[in-house]
Amino acid sequence: MSRAWSTGALVVAEAGDDEADRVRHRVVGDLRGGGSELDALAKVCDACVELLPVDGASVSVMTGDLGRECLYATDRVAARIEAVQFSLGEGPCFQAFDTKRPALAPNLRDVAWPVFAAEIGAEPVGALFGFPLVAGAISIGALDLYRRTPGWLSAAQLRVALRLVDVATLVLLGLGLDRAAGAWTDLPLRRAQVHQAVGMLIAEFGVSPEHALARLRGHAFTTGRLVDEVADDLVSRRLHPADVGGA
Amino acid sequence: METPGSAREALLLGAFVRMADTLVDDYDVVEMLHELVGYCVSLLDSAAAGLVLSDQRGGLQVLASSTDETRLLELFQVQIREGPCLDCIGAGEPVRVPDLAAERARWPRFVPQAVSRGFAAVHAIPMRLRQNTIGALNLFDHGVGAMAEQDLLVARALADIATIGILHERAIRRGEVLTEQLQTALNNRITIEQAKGVLAHAGRLDMHQAFQALRAYGRSRNALVSEVAHQVVTGVITPAAVLTLSAPPGRGST
Repeated sequence: MSRAWSTGALVVAEAGDDEADRVRHRVVGDLRGGGSELDALAKVCDACVELLPVDGASVSVMTGDLGRECLYATDRVAARIEAVQFSLGEGPCFQAFDTKRPALAPNLRDVAWPVFAAEIGAEPVGALFGFPLVAGAISIGALDLYRRTPGWLSAAQLRVALRLVDVATLVLLGLGLDRAAGAWTDLPLRRAQVHQAVGMLIAEFGVSPEHALARLRGHAFTTGRLVDEVADDLVSRRLHPADVGGA
Repeated sequence: METPGSAREALLLGAFVRMADTLVDDYDVVEMLHELVGYCVSLLDSAAAGLVLSDQRGGLQVLASSTDETRLLELFQVQIREGPCLDCIGAGEPVRVPDLAAERARWPRFVPQAVSRGFAAVHAIPMRLRQNTIGALNLFDHGVGAMAEQDLLVARALADIATIGILHERAIRRGEVLTEQLQTALNNRITIEQAKGVLAHAGRLDMHQAFQALRAYGRSRNALVSEVAHQVVTGVITPAAVLTLSAPPGRGST
């Protein structure tokens, strides 16, 4: 199990983990081959429906109150869920985005979104799981899952869901291209240095965290290095933030 | 005259009262866990303490450690793959390793790294509530030997309070709250890393000093560390405001 240390095999592994990993590899492979981010997000949503006991999935991006757009929905009901949320300004996806925490409703009857629940009542929706797509203070959107019947996801299913949410986050943050291989724990999202480096760039240029991340990514891309490596150099002061030019 | 024993008792009492506060008051998981590891070092004489939480993806994440020293953080990082911490979370029971050097075969990666950092013994205490083990507290010692039974009890009690604090009363029944709480704590940790970066660069501090500045500011304003961090990262609070307030007399101490 721990034999493949250098390539970072997880000691604890379950069947769903492999499948989620496969999805990530496929998505990264497609992006490297010139595939669009939209296609990548569609693959993540399709994988959610395939691997989890849910009937539909969608990804929406949001910037504050105004800019919001559903990028992909696996079916008509999932699209309708997003549309209703956008018109009402409430629902799991909104709550997940606003609070940066998952908004999980295993039974739609018990939820805190009365207007939304009433509006969606005509659709076959029993449970809704909204996951924020976040990296610290950077909040970009949400991934919503719905199932026809009420019910909670098991710990193993939740694990797969969170891993797929991570893939969507990486795609939207533009960090998915970093590594074709590597274990889950090696994802750039897991590395404190990446986030610290983003902070240093915020301080240097007085920009938003999103912009700072874009600079970091841009510098890594133009110098042909990994985001992790550039971040390491910044944090250990081998590289000055001022030298990380515009994206 | 106060004996060392009664002085320790007073500290212990203070720690429990402080930790219990988090159960009734507005509190911040990341801050609470940092206090917890701090108590482990000051009350239990551990050389270093760290706390990892399950990320619910099959991995662990370091949420708090008694120092930001890179080499120590790397050691916690290693534990994510192999070591007493992982075993402790898997079993939901404490794992005591009074003599690390004797366990090379058991953890071929972890032991040499821990030994090379000067540690001779390690204890891992689960953060568990019924069937949910959400993480582990890790205590490192420089000398060989088992932790005193009494100290182990103290560590377990502190870990238990922290666990209940994280899960809160609703989470005991509702799995979705557990996920919401844990994922929020993990993301807050990322926001804090971003804020540390801002302060470190703006104030020419190392990451540990930057974190201390953030905490000091939060305490002075009676604000949650993760909220202050978010405001620093999004420009609501200037780095200067945090740095001025938290600047110690003189230079560079933490």
